[in-house]
Amino acid sequence: MSDRMLTMAEAVREAMSIAFDERPEVFLLGEDVGIYGGAFGVSGDMYHRYGSERVLDTPIAELGIVGAAVGAALSGMRPIVEIQFSDFTAQAMDQIANQAAKIHFMLGGALHVPMVLRTPQGSGTGAAAQHSQNLEPWFASVPGLKVVVPSNPADAKGLLLASIDDPNPVIFLEHKLLYKIPGRDPVPEGAERIPLGVAKVVREGKDLTIVATGIMVNKSYEVCEKLAAEGISITLIDPRTISPLDMQPVYESVEKTGRLMVVQEGPAHAGFINEVIAQMAGSSSFGSLIAPIKRLAGMNIPIPYAPQLEKAAVPQIEDIEAAAREIVKNWR
Amino acid sequence: MSFKYPVVMPKMSMTMETGELLLFHVKVGDQVKSGDVLFEVMTDKIDMEVEAPADGVIETLVGNPGDVIEIGKPVLIMLTETEVMAFDFGGDAAAPVAAAPVAEPVAAPAPVAPIVPAPVAPTPPPVAPVITPPPVAPVAAPIIVNTSVKAVPKARVEAANRGIDLRTVHPTGPDRTITFSDVNSAQLDPAVLKRQAANKALIAKGIEMTRGIAQASFNRRANANFDHAQLISAWAKVLRGRPDLAAHQHIGVSLIIESKYGSALPVFRDPDLINIDQLRALVTTTSDAAKNGKVPIAMLSGGTTTIFDLTSYSMSSATPLLFPNQVTSLTIGYDSESTKNISLTIDLNFCDFYDGALLLDALIASL
Repeated sequence: MSDRMLTMAEAVREAMSIAFDERPEVFLLGEDVGIYGGAFGVSGDMYHRYGSERVLDTPIAELGIVGAAVGAALSGMRPIVEIQFSDFTAQAMDQIANQAAKIHFMLGGALHVPMVLRTPQGSGTGAAAQHSQNLEPWFASVPGLKVVVPSNPADAKGLLLASIDDPNPVIFLEHKLLYKIPGRDPVPEGAERIPLGVAKVVREGKDLTIVATGIMVNKSYEVCEKLAAEGISITLIDPRTISPLDMQPVYESVEKTGRLMVVQEGPAHAGFINEVIAQMAGSSSFGSLIAPIKRLAGMNIPIPYAPQLEKAAVPQIEDIEAAAREIVKNWR
Repeated sequence: MSFKYPVVMPKMSMTMETGELLLFHVKVGDQVKSGDVLFEVMTDKIDMEVEAPADGVIETLVGNPGDVIEIGKPVLIMLTETEVMAFDFGGDAAAPVAAAPVAEPVAAPAPVAPIVPAPVAPTPPPVAPVITPPPVAPVAAPIIVNTSVKAVPKARVEAANRGIDLRTVHPTGPDRTITFSDVNSAQLDPAVLKRQAANKALIAKGIEMTRGIAQASFNRRANANFDHAQLISAWAKVLRGRPDLAAHQHIGVSLIIESKYGSALPVFRDPDLINIDQLRALVTTTSDAAKNGKVPIAMLSGGTTTIFDLTSYSMSSATPLLFPNQVTSLTIGYDSESTKNISLTIDLNFCDFYDGALLLDALIASL
């Protein structure tokens, strides 16, 4: 058992390095991923370790970057694309949604696109509306894409290795604020994969089930710890992969707690987390609910530049805490 | 269609057992309206005019002025077009069976013995001046303002399992929503309580109601991961939630055990109230003893429901006739290595098809 406490940036770099070592067809391409080491320093020294043939600096042309990666994937390579900000995937959406996601199906399964597109998302960096979005539902609503949202370094490593193995295009959404913080759990040595489509029960309790994605898992975890001291015990579930989505642990937990709260950073309207609510409402576990389902999500506004407003636009720890307390108190 | 409707000697005080018929205000063939005075009665405490419970025609005068008549016995028979539901037990003591056509109005003992109102039923007190409220206007149901109620999903499930009408549950949740704990602490719907009281009285009076014909059976497959103790306990729990189906103060689950001396039917009293491990030990020792022809005498009476286990005969189901004074029975049949077939037989005089389906569903859900 390792006790290495890595940041998510380090864990992602380690996963990429392991894949580079395992498979010669794996390579990384993106803006400033080479000599500069990545906009958020994720690729770091990989350019120096693996050379310019495998760590490719590209022009500022997202559609071209992803198009090149899709072509490479079709011809037997396993590209890892880094898009500097997930907001810029808008530029590359034709290649992502119309090409990568569909080629396998439109060619009768003859070809597939084993591409991983890694990109940082989320607010909290003061980078304003065009560099701060959470776009999970964009990708989660395209059949043919798998979508991974790691919440901690250990998961990021195992999930990224599984994503690189996967024959489908995988969108790997990393939260900027998690890059520099060590996780709660050590990152194991070695190359162990974490299978896609398997949710993680982060902690177990009996009063409330929280399902949260990405950075909201971390915020919710703090709330769980705090409320546990007051006698409110909470089950926290991190889906880890939002497409495909593993609902089974959610059903099992809600059958015990009777209360469900979902938390996401992205805007509430048509957000990914609504899918969790929809599936719960249609399941046989619905009859176990003793409280209305509570949703905490971002406001339906572009992320503001002013720091106070930026903070107010997405759920914070205090919001989660207040909502959790209220649902447990009001519904018995 | 007109019905014969006996107008009976009313019970006007707690101590009254008979009344003297003073005089008739009507004669055979008279057309009367609801509320018209039919006859006058004198008791040890009070003189009283008895009114027509419905519009109709006087068919027979059963008694004669000066006769001393037992309460509940007919004083006159009238014909009425007004239909009264046979199972609308209302709140009125005499009304319930009054709608049944009277075959032998004079000779036969009248099947109209008053049903003692249960204390919980919203009935007028026995000494109330109006003795025979018209059956055409049964006592109003509890006042229900909301036709659609807000309740959390689990509250609905719980209410359905226990036969509770959510409209009668007081909501304490936000926006007047019924919470799970509201249902948990709720009393049974007064209508259910009324039916329960009526059922008790009917069984107590030994009134046979076309038994054997009015039965229904329900079948469902269940995982075979339960033993007799679990089944007995679960079934008692389900019945506990439906006191309206029981005419007894307790729940007695009778388990048929075959032995070379014949079948023994030891009764497990209120098995859902004892610890499952204790129950399992009791079931085991009793079953073993019964196979040797020995069952404690105390365990041979008090059954309110019966369980037959046919698994060892590779039978899949059976539809037994119900034992007297029992409203339900279960049979367990073989289905596959991992599944069993559970059949429920119910008496349709006391529950309807929907009740049967709910009961079996609740049992399987709790197994």
